[in-house]
Amino acid sequence: MSATPLLEAFEVTRRYRTGENDVHALRGVSLTINRGEFVAIVGASGSGKSTLLHLLGAVDTPDSGRVVFEGRDISTLTDADATRLRLLRVGLVFQRFYLMPTLSALENVSLPMAEAGLGKVDRRARATALLSFVGLGERTSHRPTQLSGGEQQRVAVARALANEPALLLADEPTGELDAATGAALIALLQQLNADGLTCVLVTHDAALARSARRVITMRDGRIVSDEPSTPLVA
Amino acid sequence: MSRPGFPKVSLRRAVVASLIGGVLLLSVSSVGHAQRLRDTVIGTPTAPLVPGRAASAIRELAIDERIASDYGVSVGDTLRLSAEAGTVGEPVIVGAVVRRAADPSEVARSEFRVRLHLDHLQRLIDSDDRVDRFAVAVRPEAGAAGVDSLLARINHVAFGFRAHASADVAVESSRTFQVVDRFHRAIGGITIVASAIFLLCILLLKVEERRRAIAALRLAGLSRRTVALSVIAEAAVVAVVGSVIGAGLGWVVTLAVNAYYQRVFRTPLTFAMLTPRIALFAVTLSLVLGIGAGALAAWRLVRTRPLVLLGR
Amino acid sequence: MRTLLAVLGLAIAAALLIDMVMLATGMRASFRSLLTSRGYELRVTPRGTLPFDTEATVGSASALVASLRAHPDIERVSPSLGSTVQVQRVDRARSAFVLGTQPDLQGEYTVINGRAPLGTDTLLREVIVNAVFLTALDATLGDTITITTGRSAQLRIAGTPTRVVIVGEGRFLYVPPGLPALSAPLAAVQGFLGDAGRDRISLAMASVRADTTSATANAARTEAVRVWIEQTHARVTAISTETAIVQVEERLAYFRQLAFILGALSLVIGVLLVTTLVSLSVNERLGELAVLRAIGVPRSGVLQQIMLEGFMLGMAGIIIGLGLGLVTAQWLNAILRDFPGLPADLDFFVWSAEAAWKSLAMLLVASTVAGALPAWRASQMRVAQALREEAIG
Repeated sequence: MSATPLLEAFEVTRRYRTGENDVHALRGVSLTINRGEFVAIVGASGSGKSTLLHLLGAVDTPDSGRVVFEGRDISTLTDADATRLRLLRVGLVFQRFYLMPTLSALENVSLPMAEAGLGKVDRRARATALLSFVGLGERTSHRPTQLSGGEQQRVAVARALANEPALLLADEPTGELDAATGAALIALLQQLNADGLTCVLVTHDAALARSARRVITMRDGRIVSDEPSTPLVA
Repeated sequence: MSRPGFPKVSLRRAVVASLIGGVLLLSVSSVGHAQRLRDTVIGTPTAPLVPGRAASAIRELAIDERIASDYGVSVGDTLRLSAEAGTVGEPVIVGAVVRRAADPSEVARSEFRVRLHLDHLQRLIDSDDRVDRFAVAVRPEAGAAGVDSLLARINHVAFGFRAHASADVAVESSRTFQVVDRFHRAIGGITIVASAIFLLCILLLKVEERRRAIAALRLAGLSRRTVALSVIAEAAVVAVVGSVIGAGLGWVVTLAVNAYYQRVFRTPLTFAMLTPRIALFAVTLSLVLGIGAGALAAWRLVRTRPLVLLGR
Repeated sequence: MRTLLAVLGLAIAAALLIDMVMLATGMRASFRSLLTSRGYELRVTPRGTLPFDTEATVGSASALVASLRAHPDIERVSPSLGSTVQVQRVDRARSAFVLGTQPDLQGEYTVINGRAPLGTDTLLREVIVNAVFLTALDATLGDTITITTGRSAQLRIAGTPTRVVIVGEGRFLYVPPGLPALSAPLAAVQGFLGDAGRDRISLAMASVRADTTSATANAARTEAVRVWIEQTHARVTAISTETAIVQVEERLAYFRQLAFILGALSLVIGVLLVTTLVSLSVNERLGELAVLRAIGVPRSGVLQQIMLEGFMLGMAGIIIGLGLGLVTAQWLNAILRDFPGLPADLDFFVWSAEAAWKSLAMLLVASTVAGALPAWRASQMRVAQALREEAIG
């Protein structure tokens, strides 16, 4: 793991209006994530962890403060630039897979590559390799409805890796999976991290968070602790 | 001059017109049903129609198919003919059975029609040496200019009558179908507007069903343009495929419509026709509507932030 | 937006359905109204013809009319004779339809301005004309016009011209739009037409004595009189209002059939729209519906709630569609009224409250039932699975 900062947040705040109420999702959060880290952000529902993830991935913009990614301020990007950033530098994995039901696994993984301008032959080769890497080399032509939950999530991870991002953000990726499948997915993330990919995992499960090397705990929109992970006692 | 009250044609005029030259001048071109109308003799005469027989001999007449089928009359049968109902009349022999031409102005009319020699009819109705109209065939080499010149010369010296070009007569006589044509266009306009709204509605609904997946793709880096183009392309394909299927269905329906109405109205007239031009128009219009609907659906989708689409 | 579009789509379906119902029932209602507006139930015409359908006339008309008037069940008889004449005023000349009637009995026109022409002799002096006539000849009440009929080809002259005064403007009930028409006393027109008109008529309208207490008895009496006329007078055909309506409907059957087809299509489209919208709505709210089931709402409750959505959609569409349909009906009616040979006052689209409400009710029921399938599917869902899948993350 390198000490070079990949991602920095400086006093970011984010507020939502729901009905007549204002919800302060983030209250002046600052953090630094270095290249090659595996960070888990943990907290109860409503603690602001998903909101923080969205800001780190240029999915959302802060009301105040800055987010710097690879030395570039991404908090004021236009939608087109933010989209481009996510396409080429950031991979996103969600709790609910969000695969295109009418496309095969191979086609789902190829979508971001096509957007990035990769040729058809190269897309096919790379997508096949990615699916093999995540253990689905025999299921490339299957549609999402023909895959199990765990397999669908693996396809989603492969899609997130389509354009060799510098950062992988996973928001409750095991939320729809059983314990064994979830553990297998975490193991995959750990392997990716071991290969050098910076990973940020958001979860409400403290035990799951300890699979990362660093755990940031959030409560009420603030970071309450940020420390190396304590592995589970076997 | 036609009389008011009910849809009609003058029996007398129709009979006389068909005697002179035997060629009907009605050409219904202005509503796209251009065809030269000609009654067809379908019955085999036992003896040819011979004009100008002595008045004491039994004369011949031609009857239409409806009389033949409805009353079981055939060539060679003897009928009684009179100008006044309730009188005995004179005997006439059926010399031929005629199939009426596909005349749109006569659809739904259940009247019968016979043809007599001109002098016979004149004597029957005490008409002296009178006719309702002449049909004049101009030599082909005269051309349109020749027809116009002839019309002008006749009308200049005409007294009590007027000459018209056949096409002008046809236009006036086809007013029935002009009205029907306008009505069809109005209904067509309404259904096009309705179809556009239905298409838009269905497309919006279907696109919304996939908004979360599309949001994920936007988050994964697909641009608004890519998403919009894919939605528009899908809408266009659906519209084109739907219109092609619809055209096929429409073609089948035209067969049924023609078979039904030709049987009901006992006419060879073609009621519905799917031409390549109409099919092309339908497909093109569907494509335009599909692209428009897809564009609107795509615009609504891409202008919304991905997180909002995900419901966050 | 999608609900608005769906309601708009339903409104168009409802409007089309309303229009088609009006078209299907309108012609008959309008024609009946036209025929009975002046109180004559029977029309007597030359054998085998419809009124003014041909140039045929009935001879010995005075004897025929006297015979009809002598029948105990016939209250009054209005004879008329129609023909074509040439009219001229200053430098304008047109063909026009002339109608000879007995002004005190006639049922062919209503006086708008001025008065009906008077006179019982055979001299043509006064006429009443329609608005088209006045416009065609640029004439007004009080003007004198020249009428001629008949031509001699040998002498190359028209028949004897007669000068008449326009004393009134009338609305001619059975004249097609755009046709200049005039009317004068029957005897005057018969005299004017010479041999072609002497003691001849084109039509006699007869009013049958009505027993106000029983419509069935009245109809039976009318039919009995009609049969008597045809049996007694071989030269004529007697047509009742119903027969006339049936014959005109036969000629315009196409529009009724078109109305039926388009009306059915409207229903199908409406059902399709509601089904699609309700299905989508249900899919989106499966979590909510699962929670409702989890807290104890029975399947029937879920079913009712969803079908209510279909009902509300249908209701909204129908309310808008009603207004839209009435507007488009006016437009379509204006197109069809241009039909040649039909009375100018004949309408194709006529509002019938009963028919309209029945058809709209059908659409409402259809749209409610359209929500039944997605509603049923929603009510059958497995609550635990739905809660697991649809719980907000």
